[in-house]
Amino acid sequence: MEHRWGMAIDLDRCTGCEACVVACHAENNLPVSSPEQSEKGRTAHWIRVDRYYEGEFPDIKVKYMPVLCQQCDNAPCEPVCPVYATYHNPEGLNVQVYNRCVGTFYCANNCPYSVRFFNWFEPKWPDPLPLQHNPDVAIRPAGVMEKCTFCIQRIQRAKQDAAQEGVPLADGDVQPACVQSCAAEAMVFGDLNDPKSRVSRLAASGRATRLLEELGTKPKVFYLQKAT
Amino acid sequence: MSATPELLPYKRIREDLFRPLSGISRGYLLTTSIAFIVGAAGLAAWGYQLRRGMGVTGLQRPVFWGFYIVDFVFWIGISHAGTLISAILRLTDAAWRKPVTRAAEAITVFALMIGGMFPIIHLGRAWLFYWLVPYPNSRLLWPNFRSPLLWDLTAILTYMTGSVIYLYLPLIPDLAQLAEHNTTWRRRFYRAFSLGWTGSDREWHALERAMKLMACIILAVAVSVHTVVAWDFSMALAPMWHSTIFGPYFVAGAIFSGIAALIVVMATLRKVLHLEMYLTRHHFDRLAKLLLLMSLLWLYFTMAENLTVWYGNEPKEMAVFGARTRAHYARFFWTMVVLNFAIPFVLLGIRRLRTIATATIASACILAGMWLERFVIVVPTLANPRMPSAVSLYTPTWVEVAITSATFAAMVMLYLVFAKLVPIIAVWEFKPHPQEED
Amino acid sequence: MYLVGEFREQRALESAIRTLRASGIQPADLDLFSEEPVELPRGVLDRTSRMSLVSVLGAIGFGAAATGFVWWSQHDYRLVTGGMPLFSFWATGVITYEMTMLGAIVATFGWFLWESGLVRRRDPSAPVPEVDPGSICLRVRCGADDVAKASETMRRAGATAVARRGEP
Repeated sequence: MEHRWGMAIDLDRCTGCEACVVACHAENNLPVSSPEQSEKGRTAHWIRVDRYYEGEFPDIKVKYMPVLCQQCDNAPCEPVCPVYATYHNPEGLNVQVYNRCVGTFYCANNCPYSVRFFNWFEPKWPDPLPLQHNPDVAIRPAGVMEKCTFCIQRIQRAKQDAAQEGVPLADGDVQPACVQSCAAEAMVFGDLNDPKSRVSRLAASGRATRLLEELGTKPKVFYLQKAT
Repeated sequence: MSATPELLPYKRIREDLFRPLSGISRGYLLTTSIAFIVGAAGLAAWGYQLRRGMGVTGLQRPVFWGFYIVDFVFWIGISHAGTLISAILRLTDAAWRKPVTRAAEAITVFALMIGGMFPIIHLGRAWLFYWLVPYPNSRLLWPNFRSPLLWDLTAILTYMTGSVIYLYLPLIPDLAQLAEHNTTWRRRFYRAFSLGWTGSDREWHALERAMKLMACIILAVAVSVHTVVAWDFSMALAPMWHSTIFGPYFVAGAIFSGIAALIVVMATLRKVLHLEMYLTRHHFDRLAKLLLLMSLLWLYFTMAENLTVWYGNEPKEMAVFGARTRAHYARFFWTMVVLNFAIPFVLLGIRRLRTIATATIASACILAGMWLERFVIVVPTLANPRMPSAVSLYTPTWVEVAITSATFAAMVMLYLVFAKLVPIIAVWEFKPHPQEED
Repeated sequence: MYLVGEFREQRALESAIRTLRASGIQPADLDLFSEEPVELPRGVLDRTSRMSLVSVLGAIGFGAAATGFVWWSQHDYRLVTGGMPLFSFWATGVITYEMTMLGAIVATFGWFLWESGLVRRRDPSAPVPEVDPGSICLRVRCGADDVAKASETMRRAGATAVARRGEP
């Protein structure tokens, strides 16, 4: 059976440390920003940690929510791309094909989660950061839209390794950079088509909700939190 | 029948309407130079943008569409001038439209040419714009016809083809006339484009049938074009964009801004080319009344859209509504209401105040107001997305301002060239009947 | 050979045409030349036109072809987007509509060029009269024997000038 990749993020465990953000930057060759560009809202964080404050000092509570591309099954970003630069692959991933993108920005406008980022300039890395680039991930040129891919390069690598060894892909073999780096082990990644995988069991638990579910986008990132 | 207070002799009409084609005045040179400079600045700005990347604009996540899309919708809206005057009034046999049709059709063609540039200018990789066109390619890909941007492409292509043909058809008899009244290269130019028109009844008959059909078709296309442009927004899930009213709202707004543009152009032509006898107070009076009607219609649509959002009180939509009417964008929103409704209502509604000058002032206000309307539709929604962490503002840069200004300069230039090549009023349509000659 | 008569009154022209037709001259041999369209009453010199039909056929043809192309292209390289079906008429209905209109436009213009005679090969021997503003010229093609009669008819109807052109 085809894989159907999904993720579960436990909001009760997330400490807001943003290790996932840094790991994603390193894994996916995200361009380095600057204070000026950041002020202009030009910095790309394929996964970001949103903070929600509740209450007044000294009874403040902060909730942290890592938001990444939800890989929606009914992705609103897909039908509006005129050149099929984003489409749904058979494994349920919302794929971004950098070479096809002409930069119409429609997909980003239609994404209700604001998870899409644009390459406003040619990306630059101060020395010696270019030596750290991940060879499995393309460097996007100026004018192209990008977003979280569920580390598709790691999925492909894991599938290839398993095929070479002649064993089926086991649950936990594929770990995107953010999932791997989470110190609180709040993130779980796996195959939703496998009912025995951790992510499937967590998604079916009573604590699972999805972001902006009422829009009917059918996102595949499940947020776990204690129902209050 | 023409609406001139006196019937002019034919020779006089032809003289008056052909005279602007020869000679270049100082004013013409000055205007052309200024327009050229502004246009060149815009081109330079675009070149800079292509070289450095879209980062030179004020766009930022989540406001991915800004000035360029506002300009796009604005110019496509202006292009509805010709359709209303030419097609609708032709179909209803309103005789007062006769001196106005060619100017209106020219506005349509030029506005479409300019507006059609923006889908290319706003692209991140503009040099690959042709990937939206279906052609066999090495990527083995066809474009995604489900995308409203492809609908835009087909709609504008169709409208452009139709408008050019609709402008060209009634031009043929005048071109044949011009061929006879000119020498050297002009004669060859006019003769070539007049396709050997001889004025036979078969030709006239075919022309009139074609014009009638084209009027119906172009009307249907015009309504669809601005609806499709509106659906670029409606089809998106963004708060206050996903509205069913956008189709009719934009069409009404387009006709509104189209008439305003027409009045401004006509008033300018009247002054500069001394066409007081042909573009009379009656024409402006009728157009002014139409403009007033469209202003009321615009107000109705604006109220309907905003009232339903306010009453429904859905949080994400109210965030946008608040940004538009009370917070950062309120200055643009309320200025827009004053420009689009308050000023025209006073200047055009009170009969004593309705003159050619005030109609032109009201029209200029409306053009500015309608530009603001597009801005107020595009930017506040994008700046207030559903995820609150992504809320931001938008400030345009000199690049966007330069390119926007250049489009106005381009319109002026295109019109200046056009007015030198062909008579701005269709001579054959305007002439009184042979029996009434001197 | 050709006869060219100049008329300044439309009523005179009508009577001339009626008489000429009654005497056996075919409408195909009659041509009017003027600087603006002349509206003759029904039955005087009607020209059949197939423009509406051609326009509709062009519209339907092109619209159907475009829709068929969209259907084919979406099956040629199957890419799923947003959970939408592979081909949905409504998702691409605008394309169908616009291409239908484009078909009508192109067909109308093309047929206009043909029906008006502007792109057909002209008969070089057929003279094109120079029309004064305000006059209408009637060109009659007839055999040498009918020339005198036709000429007389036109003069009697009220032509201000009648001239013979071309070889007998």
